Amino acid sequence: MKLKLLAGATLLVAASAVYAQNDPIAARRAILKGFGDATKAPAAMLKGEEKFDLAKVQTALKTYSDGAKKLPALFPDNSKTGGDTAALPKIWEDKTRFESLYAKLGQDAAANMTAIVDEASFKREFPKQLGDCKACHDDYRAKKQ
Amino acid sequence: MNVREALKSGSSQKVLAWDLPTRIFKWGLVLLVADAWISNKFGGSMPAWHKWNGYAILVLIVFRLLWGFVGGSTSRFAAFAASPSRALVYARDIFIAGRARRFLGHNPAGAYMIFALLIAVALQAIAGLYSADEDRLIIEGPLAKTISDSDVDRMSSFHASWFNVILVLAAIHIAVNLLYGFIKRDPVIQAMISGSKPRANYEDQQEARPGAPLAALACGLAAIVVVFGGIFALGGNPLR
Repeated sequence: MKLKLLAGATLLVAASAVYAQNDPIAARRAILKGFGDATKAPAAMLKGEEKFDLAKVQTALKTYSDGAKKLPALFPDNSKTGGDTAALPKIWEDKTRFESLYAKLGQDAAANMTAIVDEASFKREFPKQLGDCKACHDDYRAKKQ
Repeated sequence: MNVREALKSGSSQKVLAWDLPTRIFKWGLVLLVADAWISNKFGGSMPAWHKWNGYAILVLIVFRLLWGFVGGSTSRFAAFAASPSRALVYARDIFIAGRARRFLGHNPAGAYMIFALLIAVALQAIAGLYSADEDRLIIEGPLAKTISDSDVDRMSSFHASWFNVILVLAAIHIAVNLLYGFIKRDPVIQAMISGSKPRANYEDQQEARPGAPLAALACGLAAIVVVFGGIFALGGNPLR
């Protein structure tokens, strides 16, 4: 039984890896959607609409850090269109800068995982994290019409 | 004696054209519109910067609206508001007939640019109050939560594109004022800085009467109350 479960889980992991390779648009959308979901609580905390919760902040930072490592590879040349993507062609025009923004996102998230220890450090450091989001969205994400 | 002669003869006789509060408003608005762009471009991690810039713009605009009724003689709307036909006749005289017509304050065509700029910047700032980034995570105007998500999207998209309208108006405004300075030898830009113009036979007023400093202070305070009180009254909290 245990073996079956393990085999099933392995299959699932393998399948999702294949899935990411075959469908980078869906894969990156899932990661970015995860970013958004993880950011909801910290954003509400910044606005004072939700009580400060270090665990949720750390979860968000971990999500950014993990995602930032995977995302650069999920924008291959054959994924410029389709799959309801909001990625702008500009991404492939300045790929170096685009990827450097993910590097910065990952570095900031990793640094903040140690730097953010209480509400004061959260209020000071977390907005910079959101600035990393905006830096990329401004230039590389299609605006809603 | 017209402006050109006044300048040629080196007449140092100057008259007041714009009182100090009007000039502070004018250049304050220039700086804040520039900072609005800067704070959006570089202030991703400091949403408060862009938001407070917007509140400051609204305060300046409301101040100017009040000052248009109680301010210096050249700053009052009644002194420069002109009918479209007057503005067209003026424009024809100046640009087609090449006639020299001198105004101490805003000329009839320029008046339209002043109103256009005030309205354009005011619309932009008001739209900003209701705007937010797509995910409502990075920056959110204080009144965004008072309207539906789809309306926030509409406001945000307006807020993003309307800035180009302001840029076009500002570009025309600057170009025309440079033309006045260099071609018509009418030192309109210097006047907005120093406050004075050479004494000459102006059509509108010979000399401006400045608004009372106390009135300026009252207008400024009233503007702050209107803007911040207004946002609170509409269900937002600009201080958060």
